[in-house]
Amino acid sequence: MALEKELETYKQKLPELLAEEGKFVLIQDSEVVGIYTSYEDAIKEGYSKFGPNKPFLVKRIQSMDQVHFISRFVEPCHTFQSR
Amino acid sequence: MDAFVSVSHARQTALQTAGQPIPKPQTVRALLDTGASVTCLDSTILTNLNIPPTGTTLMNTPTTGSTPATVNVYDVSILIPGATPPPLFLHTIAVAESQLFQSQGFHALIGRDILGACVFHYNGPLNLLTVSY
Repeated sequence: MALEKELETYKQKLPELLAEEGKFVLIQDSEVVGIYTSYEDAIKEGYSKFGPNKPFLVKRIQSMDQVHFISRFVEPCHTFQSR
Repeated sequence: MDAFVSVSHARQTALQTAGQPIPKPQTVRALLDTGASVTCLDSTILTNLNIPPTGTTLMNTPTTGSTPATVNVYDVSILIPGATPPPLFLHTIAVAESQLFQSQGFHALIGRDILGACVFHYNGPLNLLTVSY
């Protein structure tokens, strides 16, 4: 599954990341690279540091992950994790 | 409405720096959907853009029941042409991956993350929706 390691790192580091709740964290493998005020800044730094081919995760820091609602009949593309 | 989806500005810069080709922007049939809290793209569009996910999110739809699904999130740019220039251009926005849009005649749902910056005027008798941004 893509980003498996990064998501695990996010889960592990979440208690300390919550001091910056609402901001965006950039994670590559098991390293927290930085915390940014905007999604764009985190994405920009991710590509700048790791280029277009190395995986990295950008995620809003939240104590509980936000659930998005789609009222239309569409099928979400499940990641391996949620199958 | 038609919109154009491409790799995000940051990814485009990274591809240029690495000497790799930049995928051709994709023309998509998009539905403005106030019932979608996030903008969604059909997987075929994301495959054509050859982009890896840079995040995940939880999504609840009529097909998921009460348990949200974890879906991949991708950074893209979206251009929505208007009746008069300039177009609405988002150079880096997170979109969620979904399926079955094409059978319904569209490849994208433009959700409230984008529509939140717009003003709607619906004239029922004229069957006319005006969107300003």
